[in-house]
Amino acid sequence: MSPLAIETRKLGRIYKIRGNKKEKNVRKELAALSDVGIQIEQGELFGLLGPNGAGKTTLIKILTTLLAPSTGEAFVAGYNVLNEPQHVRPRINMVSGGESSGYGLLTVRENLWMFSQFYGMPSREANQRIVDLLKLVGLGDRINTKSSDLSTGLRQKMNIVRGFMTDPEVLFLDEPTLGLDVGASRDVRHLIRGWLDDDKKRTLLLTTHYMVEAEELCDRVAIINQGRVLACDSPSVLKRRLQEDILFEIKTSPLNGLSAQAIEDLPEVHTASLTEMEDGALLKLALVEESALGPVINALTDKNITIMSLNKHEHSLEDVFVQLVGHSIAEAEKGSQDE
Amino acid sequence: MSSDVTQPQVDSIYKPLPKVTGWRLFLKTVIARAYPRLIGQQREKSWMFFDIFLPMLAVSAYVFVYRAIQAPEDYVGFAVMGGAMTAFWLNVLWSMSSQLYWEKEQGNLALYIIAPNQMMAILLGMALGGMLATALRAVAIIFLGTILFNVTFVVSSFLQLLVVFMLSMTALYGMGMMMASLFLLLSREAWHLSNLAQEPIYLVSGFYFPIKSFPFWIAAGASIIPLTLGLDAMRQLIFASGPALGFVSVKLEVSVLLVLCVVFLVGAKLLLDYMEKLAIREGRLTESRR
Amino acid sequence: MLNLHKSEFWRSFRVATWLGWQIESNWADPLLFVIYSIVKPLASASILVVMYGIITNSNFQNPLFPYIYLGNAFYIYVGAVMGGVSWAVIDDREHYKTLKYMYVAPIKIPVYLLGRGVARFLTGSISVFITILAGVVFLKVPIVLQQINWPLFFLSLLIGIVMLAMMGLLLGSITLLLVHHSFGIAEGVAGALYLFSGAIFPLEVLPAWLRPVGFAMPITYWLELLRRSLVGNVAQAFPTLAGFSNLDLFGILVVLSVAFGILAIYAFRWCDYRARERGLIDRVTNY
Repeated sequence: MSPLAIETRKLGRIYKIRGNKKEKNVRKELAALSDVGIQIEQGELFGLLGPNGAGKTTLIKILTTLLAPSTGEAFVAGYNVLNEPQHVRPRINMVSGGESSGYGLLTVRENLWMFSQFYGMPSREANQRIVDLLKLVGLGDRINTKSSDLSTGLRQKMNIVRGFMTDPEVLFLDEPTLGLDVGASRDVRHLIRGWLDDDKKRTLLLTTHYMVEAEELCDRVAIINQGRVLACDSPSVLKRRLQEDILFEIKTSPLNGLSAQAIEDLPEVHTASLTEMEDGALLKLALVEESALGPVINALTDKNITIMSLNKHEHSLEDVFVQLVGHSIAEAEKGSQDE
Repeated sequence: MSSDVTQPQVDSIYKPLPKVTGWRLFLKTVIARAYPRLIGQQREKSWMFFDIFLPMLAVSAYVFVYRAIQAPEDYVGFAVMGGAMTAFWLNVLWSMSSQLYWEKEQGNLALYIIAPNQMMAILLGMALGGMLATALRAVAIIFLGTILFNVTFVVSSFLQLLVVFMLSMTALYGMGMMMASLFLLLSREAWHLSNLAQEPIYLVSGFYFPIKSFPFWIAAGASIIPLTLGLDAMRQLIFASGPALGFVSVKLEVSVLLVLCVVFLVGAKLLLDYMEKLAIREGRLTESRR
Repeated sequence: MLNLHKSEFWRSFRVATWLGWQIESNWADPLLFVIYSIVKPLASASILVVMYGIITNSNFQNPLFPYIYLGNAFYIYVGAVMGGVSWAVIDDREHYKTLKYMYVAPIKIPVYLLGRGVARFLTGSISVFITILAGVVFLKVPIVLQQINWPLFFLSLLIGIVMLAMMGLLLGSITLLLVHHSFGIAEGVAGALYLFSGAIFPLEVLPAWLRPVGFAMPITYWLELLRRSLVGNVAQAFPTLAGFSNLDLFGILVVLSVAFGILAIYAFRWCDYRARERGLIDRVTNY
C-alpha cells in the first residue's frame, strides 16, 4: 500500500516570545499548533481553512522542513520531516502568497531557471518547461522582463510557476491567490486542477481563507482555529453536518401588523425572524419540513402582504465555519487585529 | 533530447523531467547561485561608478598622504594594491556574511532550504559569483592606479603570485561562508557587525601599509584574516622593496593560508549544518525582525 | 496655510529624528553601541597614524600631523551626516519597506530624510570627540583649551553640519534612482571626497588640474576653519588657504553651503519626479 502523502500525529508547536526591553526576563509562550492529527492520501487536494494566526502557515513550515515541531511527529511522502529532510525536500515544493522569490535584477526566465537548477533539472528542458508554464498562466509575453518590473500579481504568478515547475510529489500552496484578481485567481485554480488531474499520485495542500476557493477546489478541508483542527472532512459532508433545518428568506411588502410570533406558531416552523426594511420587511424562516412553507405564504396573503422575492438558503462552508468557530472568518480576523 | 521536450505540448507540460543528484546537483546549484551575482550585478551600470570610480578616489587619498609625507614610491604601490583588495573584503562582509540575512528578509532563504540542494552549494555559488565580479573591480582599480601613479612592479614569480592569490581568495571566501552561517541567527545586528569589521580590519590587516610595522603578535593575530598574509605575500612578490618589508617568508605565508583554507571551509560546513538545525528548532529561518 | 506648512515641517523632522534615534540606538546593548562609536573611528585614525609613523619615524611634532589628524577626525561628520540622511532612502525602501508609506503620509520627504540624519550626527559627535581626545592624550595633538577660538569653532561646526546635511539630501535624492549597492553609497562618496577636501593632506599635494575640485568643495573651507579655531598656528603652516582670513573662509563656506542647499532641493525635486515616473519608490534591488 502506498504511504500517506502527509500525516501528522499529535503535532504541536510552541513559540517562545521574547519580551521587550522592560520585560526582558518575562518569557511568554504561544501555542501556534496543538495536537494536530491529519492524514492526507496521495492524489488529494486538501485545504486548510482558518483565519489569520490560526496556525496554517506554522503547519506548512513544519511540513516543508523549515520548522521543527515542539511535540508530535509529521511525515511527508512517508518520511519524517524532522529526521529525514534530505528525503522530504526532493519530493516537495512550496509557494507562499504575497512573497516574492528570486532576484529583482534577473528576468522571469532567469529566476525560474535558477530555481530549476537547485532541483537538478537539465537546463534545456527546464527552460522549455518554464516557457510552457509561463504561457499557461498568461505570463508568456513577460519571460524576459526583469522580475522587479512585474506587478505584484504577475510576480505571484511567477512564484506559482516556480512551485509547479519542479515536479513535486507534494506541493504546498500557502494562500496562493492572495492579492490576485479574479481572472488571475481563476488561472491559478485551473493550473492546480490540471496539475492534479494529470497524475493521481500528486498531492496538494492549500491554505486559504477564501471560503469559496476551498469549497470549489478541495476534496477535503480541515477547519483550523487557534492552533487546533476543529473539523476535517469533505466540504459537502461538513455542510450536511449543520442543523437539518431548511432555510428560506422572503422579502415582502409592509407587514400590516403581522408578528414573527404568529408565524412561528404555525406548524413545522422552527424559527422565524422579521426585520423591518425601508420598503417592506425581510422574513427569515427555519422550517422542519419544506411543506411548512405553504401555510406561511397563506398567512402572508391573508394579511394582504405581497411577496417580492423568495430564496431558499443553501449552507455554505462559511456557515460551517461560523458554527465551529463561533464567528465568521472576517470577524475572527478583526478580533485578532484588535488584540 | 526527445522531440516532446523541445516542442511545447500542453499535455506534456507536467511530465516529470529527469533530475541529477549528488555532486552534479551540487555543481548546478553553485553555478545557478553564482549567476545573479555575475549577470544581475553588471546589469545596473551604476556599479562602475560606485565600485570602481569612487574606491579609486579613496585609494588616491591614501596615495597622496604618502606623497605629502614624502614616502618611498613603493608605498604608493602598496596603497594601490591594498585599496584594490579592500573590494574583496567589502564583498565578503556585505555580500557574503550578511547575505543570508537579506535572503531571509526576502523569503528566498526558505526556498533554498526546502530545495534538495545543499546550502553549502548556495554559499559557494554566492562566493564564486561575488569573487569573480569583485575581481573585475579589483583589477580595474589596480590598472587605473598603476597608470595614474606610475606604480612599478617587479614580479619575481607569476606562478607563486597566482597560488598566493587563489589561496587567499579560497580562505577569505571560506571565512565569508562561515560568517554567513553565524549571521543567520542575527537580524539587524548583522549589518552593524559588518560595519564594525570594516576599518579595524583595514588597520590590522595592513591594507595601506606593510604589517611588519606592527609588533609580531599583533601581525600574527591579524593573520587569521586571510587577506593579511595574502596581501603581504603578494606585495613581497611584486614590489622591489616587498621582500625587505615582508612580515614572514612567502613560503610560510602560503602554508598558513593553506591551513586557513581548510579550517574555514570545514568550519563553514560544520557551522552551517549546526546553524540550520538550530534555526529550524527555534523557528528563525523565516521570521523577519525588521 | 503658513502654519500648516510650518507644522508639517516640524512634524516631519521630529518624527524622523525620533525614528532615526530608535533605529540607531535600539539594535544592541549600550556596550556594543559605545564600542561601535569608538572602535570604528579610532581604527580609521590609526591607519593614518601608522602610515605617518612608519614614514616619518614617528615625528608627531611636525605640524602636518595635527593637520592630518584633525582633518580626519572631523571628516567623520561627513560620512555620518551625509550617510545618515541618504542611507534612510535605502533603509526605508528596501529594508523596512516603509518608504512608500512615508511618501503617502502628510510629511515632507526631504525634511524627513534630514531628520533621519540627526541620530547619526549625535553618534558621530561622540566619535569625533573621542578621536580628538585620543589624539590629544596619546599623540600630543597640540590643542590647548585656553587658546581655542570657541565662537569660530561652534559657528563653523553649525554651518558645516547644515552643509553636510544638504549634501546628504543631494545624495539621498540620487539614491532614489539607484539600486542598493553592496555597501553604503554615502561611504563611497565620503571616501572619494576625502581626496578633494584637503582633509588629510594640503591641497597643493594634488596635481594642479585636480585642485579646483577641492576649492569648489565647501568641506575644504569648513575643515580649515575648524583647524584654525582649534590649533591656529598649525593651520597657518600650510600655504593652501593662508591667503584667506577667517572671515573670507567663513563667507565662502556660507555661500557654498547655500549653493549646495539650493542644488539639493532642486535635485530632490527632479529625482523624486523621475523615481515616481519610473516606479522606483517601492522597489527592492538585492541580488
